[in-house]
Order: sequence, then structure tokens, then C-alpha cells
Amino acid sequence: MAETATREFVHNLHELPHTVRDACFRLGKTPESEREESQATFHNLFLHIHSVRVHLRTLSPTLTFGLGLTAMASFVITIITGVLLMVYYKPSTDLAYQSMKDIHFVVYTGRFIRNIHRWAAQLMVLTVLLHMARVFFTASYKKPREFNWLVGLGLLVMTLALSFTGYLLPWDQLAYWAITIGSNIANSPRELTDAIGITKWFDPGGFQKRLLLGANFVGQDSLIRFYVLHVFVLPLALVTLLGVHFWRIRKDGGLAKPEDPMGGLAEWGGERRQVFEPLATKTYGLMALVKGKRPPVNRGPENTVMSWPHLFWAELAVFMLTVAITLTLSFYWDAPLKELANPAIPENPAKAPWYFLGLQELVSYSAFMGGLLIPVIVLVGLALIPFLDRRSGGEGVWFGTAGEKSTFWQSLCFAIAVTVGMLAFTVNFGWLRNWFPNAHQLWIIAINPGSLLVLFFAGWSLLILKRQDSVRLAAVALFTCFLVSFTLLTYFATVHRGPNWHFYWLPSQWPLH
Amino acid sequence: MKDPSRIYRWMLLVASLVTIVYLVGAAVQENYLAQWKGVQRQYRSLLEDKATDDRGRELLAKFRIEMKQASIPALGTVDRCVTCHNGIDDPRMTDVSQPHRVHPGHILDKHPVDRFGCTVCHHGQGAAMTFREAKADDVYWDYPLLPPEMTEATCATCHDPEKLPPDQAPLLLAGMELYREKSCGACHKLGGRGGALGPALDNEGAKTRHQLIMTNLRPPHTTWHWQEAHFRDPGGVVADSLMRNPTVTQRGALALTVYMLSLWNRDVPESYLAPDKIEQKYRALHPVPLTGEQVYRQYCTACHGDGTYTRWDKKFNRFVPAIRGVSLVTTASPKYLQANIEQGRPGTQMPAWGPHAGGLLPEEITAVIEYLRTGATEAPITAMVIPTGDATRGLSLFLRNCYGCHGMNGRGGMAPEIGNPVFQQAATDAFIVRTIQNGRVGTAMPAFQRKEAPVFSDQDIADVLAYLRTVAGPKAQRAMAQNTTASAPPGGRP
Repeated sequence: MAETATREFVHNLHELPHTVRDACFRLGKTPESEREESQATFHNLFLHIHSVRVHLRTLSPTLTFGLGLTAMASFVITIITGVLLMVYYKPSTDLAYQSMKDIHFVVYTGRFIRNIHRWAAQLMVLTVLLHMARVFFTASYKKPREFNWLVGLGLLVMTLALSFTGYLLPWDQLAYWAITIGSNIANSPRELTDAIGITKWFDPGGFQKRLLLGANFVGQDSLIRFYVLHVFVLPLALVTLLGVHFWRIRKDGGLAKPEDPMGGLAEWGGERRQVFEPLATKTYGLMALVKGKRPPVNRGPENTVMSWPHLFWAELAVFMLTVAITLTLSFYWDAPLKELANPAIPENPAKAPWYFLGLQELVSYSAFMGGLLIPVIVLVGLALIPFLDRRSGGEGVWFGTAGEKSTFWQSLCFAIAVTVGMLAFTVNFGWLRNWFPNAHQLWIIAINPGSLLVLFFAGWSLLILKRQDSVRLAAVALFTCFLVSFTLLTYFATVHRGPNWHFYWLPSQWPLH
Repeated sequence: MKDPSRIYRWMLLVASLVTIVYLVGAAVQENYLAQWKGVQRQYRSLLEDKATDDRGRELLAKFRIEMKQASIPALGTVDRCVTCHNGIDDPRMTDVSQPHRVHPGHILDKHPVDRFGCTVCHHGQGAAMTFREAKADDVYWDYPLLPPEMTEATCATCHDPEKLPPDQAPLLLAGMELYREKSCGACHKLGGRGGALGPALDNEGAKTRHQLIMTNLRPPHTTWHWQEAHFRDPGGVVADSLMRNPTVTQRGALALTVYMLSLWNRDVPESYLAPDKIEQKYRALHPVPLTGEQVYRQYCTACHGDGTYTRWDKKFNRFVPAIRGVSLVTTASPKYLQANIEQGRPGTQMPAWGPHAGGLLPEEITAVIEYLRTGATEAPITAMVIPTGDATRGLSLFLRNCYGCHGMNGRGGMAPEIGNPVFQQAATDAFIVRTIQNGRVGTAMPAFQRKEAPVFSDQDIADVLAYLRTVAGPKAQRAMAQNTTASAPPGGRP
């Protein structure tokens, strides 16, 4: 008896690595057949959001450029580095800056970690915007993916909010004055309420600003507010929304793609292949595990391959590519850390974070227009796209329907001409306030370069709608105009706006203070 | 069929390799390339060379390669300078190169590093771990490392510079003396005392480079470089500067710069203050009156010179009265002088010097009037019989004889504004009449009743006086309307 138990014990000890592995992984071994490959996918909590087979189109690098995944990967990187930074960061106006300096100088690889956090955050904002453009130009918002487009907009707003709240935390001059500008943008409805003289009774701008800052100025209350939002509320909300976003991708049938031709020969993966022709009398949807002796011998159903390993190779590659890009940037370029925040010494020019600089340029014309009305118009317009453009066609293909490409190029040229022209005019000749110093502020709110841009673009889009007789083309025109002017305004405000928001060709020409 | 994930596997390989390269690079940088570690290794070999006695061997045995810092919560500083300056308090380290050398002088005897740290005296970024970032003149930091010759500026944080041994802060003392000698207080307030033309200087040393206009300055754009250049040529550094060139030597500019850097009301715990600093703070609250001559030298000479002649001020495009001129002080009553000093001359560059404006004590104003009247033998005339004058006739006399210098409607030109409210209020009729009769020696004002060839009769003078009393410039009228205590004369225009 005793001997048997001992032998059993030794045997179990010997088998320990295998039994632990079997307990952890339900499949318990490297999948060898397609059946096991599919099990590897749907038996795993983290992988089962994927379908077990993936369409070849989805794997094509030029369909998505991995933009959504890159955004997701950057988010994961910011979460990991953010937790590390939280260990050292102290959210108090007295201690924050010193703790940033300690992270910079003495925390082991602290500077590198902070750089990674910063670059990943910037990359996330950038790729979220590009991902939106990709989804739009491949018409992937169309039925049944309208809701996911809305969720994506929510994620865009949340990404910007996360980045913006993180901006204040270093408590340096850059942070302090960028948030001061940002909170003044929140205050912008006051321009309108002041102009009609109702601020005393109805002050949504002041309310927004106080809600954001917890005070009338940027101070300890704002810092703790931004901190809580940045490390807890917004990440949690974003993860939740991200879960919905991914879940809907799966439920809406994966990435948008055109219908596959049924039967016959088709060009795929560089060779002509027989396309599976489903029989009307059979069901195929239950478990798409084929390749074997059952119906379609030696052919996949439709043009799909197993997710394990192909899709996971792709996802892992995009993830590692994001890591590699972030590390490269972080190794050579430090995240900025200016002097200690000093309310007595304004930064000149005080600039908001780069993705809000287009707005700041518009705010410099009219606070109400640039800070409230135009962003609301843009967001509502973006949200309405899938509900106004209902005709299917072109899903999952870049510029998929007829005339899209030429509309895109025409709109690109139109938007560049209008935006550059408007900026050049404003810089050279000023605007209403320069010509009519006593003009009522309502005139300035109504007629300024920002509102004219909106009118020009809306008019252009209507023109396309009439002449091309296509809602999709009108949407392409409007979206292109928005994208171009966003890019140009951001570039203009970043490079060509100097102290007192005056125009300079180069930052090196700014007067020194 | 082509493997659809082949490209991704290659991508993964390359990206992973790049990632590994940078992770290893960061680890190597952090562990082996840190500047301070190399410095400490050098220092250890210095310790080995010098470990010739028991004490030396003990120091060597205790030495560890690690980050070192002086954390002084009371001063709000964490100074890691000692991570590289290991020999700072080792008297044997005299013949070695920086950063290993011992601190010069005996300052550390009374200012141990573990109580004072480094940056409270030297400025610079104490938290940094490389010299470039500690020096901080080209990185974002408000107070970069002071050049050695200017470090004495910070002595004033805890000491009264005048109570220090004279060889400890020679430049600072010279700067303070120059400040008084050049009568900077005529335009700048310090501790609530001084003129109002220039900015107050109480926290000049706390200014950062972002608060100074660097446009016309060649790099380096440090505050001390700005100050020094500015003392040599104010208008060359700040366009449209009203400041007169103080005409100082190179060393004088340096001394003034050090003095400016020392002006910083830094919040330092009382336990750090030297007793004389506390006395100095007490004296600032309970000032001992200066003598008349000291007041004149510190607050008046910048504009009035020695006060015995009228000078033309090119900067302000106006003349500055000879306030110590014999004929003024023998004519003007002390009350008249007191009113002009206490209330200034609104609308001119002459500020008010009363206790609530320029901050002079009443005793000091009395003393400076005494000083102005030095050598005046005659008592001022207070009363005089003057015939009744006719203002209309006075106007025609004024137009023929006076307005060339005094301007129309009492607005002044090259000569004082007759309409100035303080003048109208403080000048007695007797004073005006006597001034017209005798003129002002040392100025352009001629005598109108010289015995040999009188221009005006007594009646003429009375007429002019009557006209003068009707005059007040528009600016002066406004000032008078605001001045409730002023018994404004009827301000009609002729």
C-alpha cells in the first residue's frame, strides 16, 4: 500500500508540468488539426471573441492597416506604463512636479517608462482618428454596423478625454497653461450668453468650466479631478465601451467585406481557386470545421482560413509593431517636462494639446463657434452618417462605389483651397473686428472664418448630392472636407501660431521672452 | 496556396527584435552608462590612492557606489549634487579635478550639506543626475546654477549682507552701495520706499528668464546675463526703456547684478536665518530715519543731480528744476517744498514721496528740506503787500514775456506747469511775486524787476499773478477735481 502511494506520488510529481498545463489550458497541447485549432480559439476566454475562421480579406494588410488594433495596442501599453507611473506619481500641487522629476531622474528607467506612456498615448489618438477615416472610406459603417460606428465615436471622445486629463498631471507650465486654455474652451458658450447679455441668469459656459476644474482656476481641485478621471473613471469607461466595440464586430459579422461570389472560380491569394458552392438543402453555419472528408473536399468554405494561427499571428505582429514603434520613439525623444507650473507667468503662446489646436484656431475667431457649435456640429454630423447613408454597397472596399475616388480627390482639392485661402485671408486682412471695431459680438459669432468654413463645406456637400445624386458621395465629400480642414488647422496652429496667436512662418522667428 | 500569415510572422520577428534591442539598450543605459556611476568609480580610485592612514582606509571601506542626496524638507529641496561631488567635505581632496574636489573656503563648516543642501545657495536643479540637467541653463528649470562669482547673491537669503565679514560678499556689498550711489531709489521701490517710474525690485531675484524680454539679447538667455547687459545699456536690452544708463564699470554692472539676484523674499524657516537677518527684517518694519543728505543722494540725484542747476532731461523731454538753487530755497517756504515732495507734481515725472506713496518718513522729509535749504540764509518771505491785479492785462503781459517757456493755459513747456494743482495750492502769492521779481539763479528764469532795468512794475507783477491764478491745465483741473482736500482756485480760461 505504502509503496503504491509513494510511487503514485512520485509519478504525479513527475507529471506535474503536464497536469498543470492541462488544468490551465483547456486544449492542453499545441493544436494539430483544424478541429483543435478551432478549439484553441473558442475554448480560450481571451480568444473566443474571434470567430474560429477568418476571411482572407480581413487578413489583407491594406484593408485596415491594422489601425484599430494599433489603437488598442497603444491603449494596453498606456495601461501598463500608467500603472507603473501611478506607483510614483503624487496627485498634489505641492508634490506632483517633484514626483515627475523623480520619475525622470531617479526612478529606475522611469524616464523611459514615462516616454513610452506619452508616445503610446499620442499614437492612440492618432490611430483612433485614422481608424475612423479607414472605416469611413471603406464604407464599413453601413448596416448592420451603424451602432458600432456610434460606439467608435464614443471611444474617440473618450480617447481625447483620457489624453486631455493626462495632460495636466505633470503640473508643469505646459500642463498648467494647456489646461487653462482647454477649460477656457469649455467656457466658450459664455461668448454667446455675454453677447445677448443673459450670462447673469444662464451661464452654461461657466458651469462647464467649474465642473471641469472644480474651481474658477486650475488648482488642487482640478488636479485631483483630472487624476481620478484619468486613472479610474475614463479607463474603466473606455474598457467597457471597447468590449462592446469588439463584441459588436463579431456579432455584426466581422470586418465589413463584399459578398463573396458563390461557386465558380475566383482569384484569391494569388491563385485561382474553386469557390465553395453551398447547397440549399444543407446547413453550414453551425460549426464551420471542414477540410476533411466531408462535403467540400480540400477547399475551405468561402474564402476563409483558420483564425488560429493566421489571425493571431497578424494581431500579435501588429501589437509588437506598436510596441517597437513606441519604444523607438521613446528611446530618442523625451516626453516634455517644462518648469514648475506658475500661474503668474503665462506661457506665450499657451497652446492646448495638439489634437485640440484646430479647435483653438477656431476659438481664436469665435469662442462659441470654435469651442462649442462647430465641435457639436461635427460630432452630430459624424454620428448621423450611417443613418443618412442607408444604401448598401462598397462595404469593406476602399472607395468601393463608383465615383468615390474622384469625389475624394475633388473634395480634397476643394477643402485645401478653401481652408488655406481662408487662413491666408484672415492672416493678411484680419476679420470683422479689425474692420468694424464697434461691431456687435453676435455678428462676429455668426460670421467668422470658422463658420464660413462650415458653410463652404456644407454647400460643397450639397452640390455633390445634387450633381452626383448619391448620399454616399455627399458624405464622402463632407468627411473629406472635415478631415482636410482638421489636419490643416491643426498644422497651422501648431507651426504658424506664435506669441499672442500671431502668425509666424517658423517658431524660430518668435520673439523671445 | 500562399501562407496568408507569412508576412505577419516576419513583421512579428522584426518588431520583436527591435523591441528587444531597445529594451536591452534602456537597461544598459540605466545600469552601465549612467554618468554618476563612472564618476563614483573614479572617486573610489582616488580614495584608494589616499587611503594611507586609518581614517582614509575607513572612508574607503565605507564608500559605496550608490545614489546620494541631501533631502531638506524644511527648504523643500532634494539635492543630488553629492552623488557626483563626493569629495565636497573631504579636506584631502584639494589636488584633484572636479567634480571630486573639496568645497573651497570654510563655508561648509557653518553650512553642512546635510542641513543646507546645495541649491539654496547655488541654485540649479538639485534633483538632476547629470551635470547638464543640474546646471539647467538649457533645460526647463526656473533657477539655473549661478556662476561662481554670483553665488554670493544668495547669502542675502539668510544674512544681512552688511553684517557679513566684508570679504565674504564683496560684490553684493558693492552692488548695494552702487544702488544708493546711483540713486536707483528715485525710480524703483524697494521695501515700499522709492519712486514709481520703474518697477518695484523687491523680488527681482525671483524672476525667471520668461519674465524678462530676451529679444535683443545674445545667448545665453539667463537672468544674470540679462541684468548685466541691461545695466550696461538699458535701452539696448529693453526697447523704449525709460531707464537712464547708470554708467557703471564692468565690475559695477556685475555688482548690481549680484544685488538684483539677492533681492528675493524667499520663504525660509526662521531657524535658518542668521540673527542679523532677523534684525534686518525688523528694521524694514521699523525703519530708522535717514539723514537729509542720505535721502537726497538715494532718492533725488537720479533726476535732480546735485540740484544747484536746471538740467534738461532728454529722456523725458523736459527740464528738471534746480531744487537746491539758492534763489528757490530762499524764496520758497518749507511748507511749499514739503507739499511738492509729499504730493509730487501730478502729470510730471516727479512722484509723490509721502508715507503712503514713496514711503519716506515724515522725519526724512523734514530732514531733506533742511538739506535743500543748506546755505539759505534769508528766511522765506511769507507775507507781502500786493496790489489788486487785472487778469486780462496779466494775460497780455504773460503772452509777451512768459508763455515762450511756460506754455499756454498753464500747460508748461520747457518751464514748470503753472496750472499744476500742487503748485497752485502750495505756492503763496508772495512766493510767486518774489520769483518773478528776482528770477531763479542757475536756471533760465530771468529776473523781471532788476534794479538797473526793471521789465515789470509792481502792478504788472500783480496783474500777471492774477492771471496765473486763473490758469489750470486740463490735466491739472481733472487732478484738482479728484483731490478733495485741494481748495481749487477758479479754473477759468482767459
